[in-house]
Amino acid sequence: MSNAPAIHEIYLLPDGVDKVVETKSTKIPNASTFHLEKEDHTLGNLLRAELLRNPKVLFAGYKMPHPLDHSVDLKLQTTADTSPLTVLQEDVNSLMRELGLIKKRFENEMTLHNMQSSDPNGMPYTVDRAYS
Amino acid sequence: MPDTASSVAEMRKRVVLHADRVAHPSSMEFPGNFPGEDLAWDLERFKKDFRIVIGHIGKDDMEFDMIGVDAAVANAFRRILIGEVPTMAIEKVFVINNTSIMHDEILAQRLGLIPIKADPQAFALRRGTADEPTDLNTIVFKLTVRCEKNLDAPAGAVHPDDKFINSNVLSSHLSWVPQGEQETRFADDPCRPVIPDILITKMRPGQEIDLEAHCQKGIGKEHAKWSPVATASYRLLPDIQILKPITGDAATRFAKCFPPGVIAVSPNAAGIPEATVVNPRKDTVSREVLRHAEFEDKVRLTRIRDHFIFSIESTGIIRPEKLFPEAANILIKKCKALKAALAASGALDSGAGGE
Repeated sequence: MSNAPAIHEIYLLPDGVDKVVETKSTKIPNASTFHLEKEDHTLGNLLRAELLRNPKVLFAGYKMPHPLDHSVDLKLQTTADTSPLTVLQEDVNSLMRELGLIKKRFENEMTLHNMQSSDPNGMPYTVDRAYS
Repeated sequence: MPDTASSVAEMRKRVVLHADRVAHPSSMEFPGNFPGEDLAWDLERFKKDFRIVIGHIGKDDMEFDMIGVDAAVANAFRRILIGEVPTMAIEKVFVINNTSIMHDEILAQRLGLIPIKADPQAFALRRGTADEPTDLNTIVFKLTVRCEKNLDAPAGAVHPDDKFINSNVLSSHLSWVPQGEQETRFADDPCRPVIPDILITKMRPGQEIDLEAHCQKGIGKEHAKWSPVATASYRLLPDIQILKPITGDAATRFAKCFPPGVIAVSPNAAGIPEATVVNPRKDTVSREVLRHAEFEDKVRLTRIRDHFIFSIESTGIIRPEKLFPEAANILIKKCKALKAALAASGALDSGAGGE
């Protein structure tokens, strides 16, 4: 047979592996590295962008240590009055609220759009296609 | 030359395109970046500023504007649409007989790329080979085609379609073999290829193909055949700023630097033809205008940093307007998984007594 990696290895978390592991920095105060398993730039960059909008965050950055390793390292330093874990938990919550809102708005707009296009006298908003 | 305050204001909202470079492409709206301003994340402010405008919805494609989000959010949606929304696709092909000129492995690869109309939500993921195929995770198709001479063909027929029967093997030749309860579960919407006339291979009399194909659920990250979209992409809304009036023949030359419909040339108050921007959305931002010395200092090409024109082209398995909410669900699910894992790790810390 072959030594090809198992097909689901890129997105399914194997048994006994933690989704997230926090490693506290020994050199920098209030700093941690979160190792997220089976995640990539999608969530890594999203979290980084979200964290940077938080005034309690002094540093936020992420990397994929290796393109064949399906994991992300998120480095986070916060102010002294809180901890990286608390801040990350808060920001994951606000990210979920944001995404929920985007989804709801999209669905509302779709309902509106469908109502408009079913009305023959209505003037549906049309966006000109760039290349048509 | 614009003053510092207005150029900083522009920097914050616009990506400026120069002939040789793109200036300030990334956002700078971070807390502490501008004195006296609170730029911290705020859901209420986001609610107020965020807008979605549906533009065009076609049979398989749609375009909409997403205004007021960070590039990371738009990109996360794009990446999820391409790589993580599951669909069903042919994964295992059992070849019983293949005397066509196409090799088994090429045939299998081509079969895999055929979009299969089946509701992915109704199926489970098959976790590796240890997971037995059942009616809950596998759809079975049979492809049994034999090419023969058409005995009723007119004497002078030259075209293979007239001379032979089944000389083209098409996706419509795939016949669904319902397993277990599938026949009743999918009675109103039988599993089938989305497009019936995809050419799989060509044959000549005497050649035949007999195979069984098993569809499985998967995501585009694993193989592009599972991607529900042909493309999902976004671009920023262009904003062309004319700094000094462009009149006369120069106006016509100016309009020619842009795709049709972007710039209009019409007489101004003084009756001289003048160029005005009418539809920047149509601009491809080719930057052709920046190659002409005569328009130097007269025009500034910019893009609005938080105005994304999102376009989704579906393969036909899932309606394009259903794809975006689906992508949002997948993203939220990812966040939920992370939240649960973080809560668990936090509990561990305090359970161990902390540091």
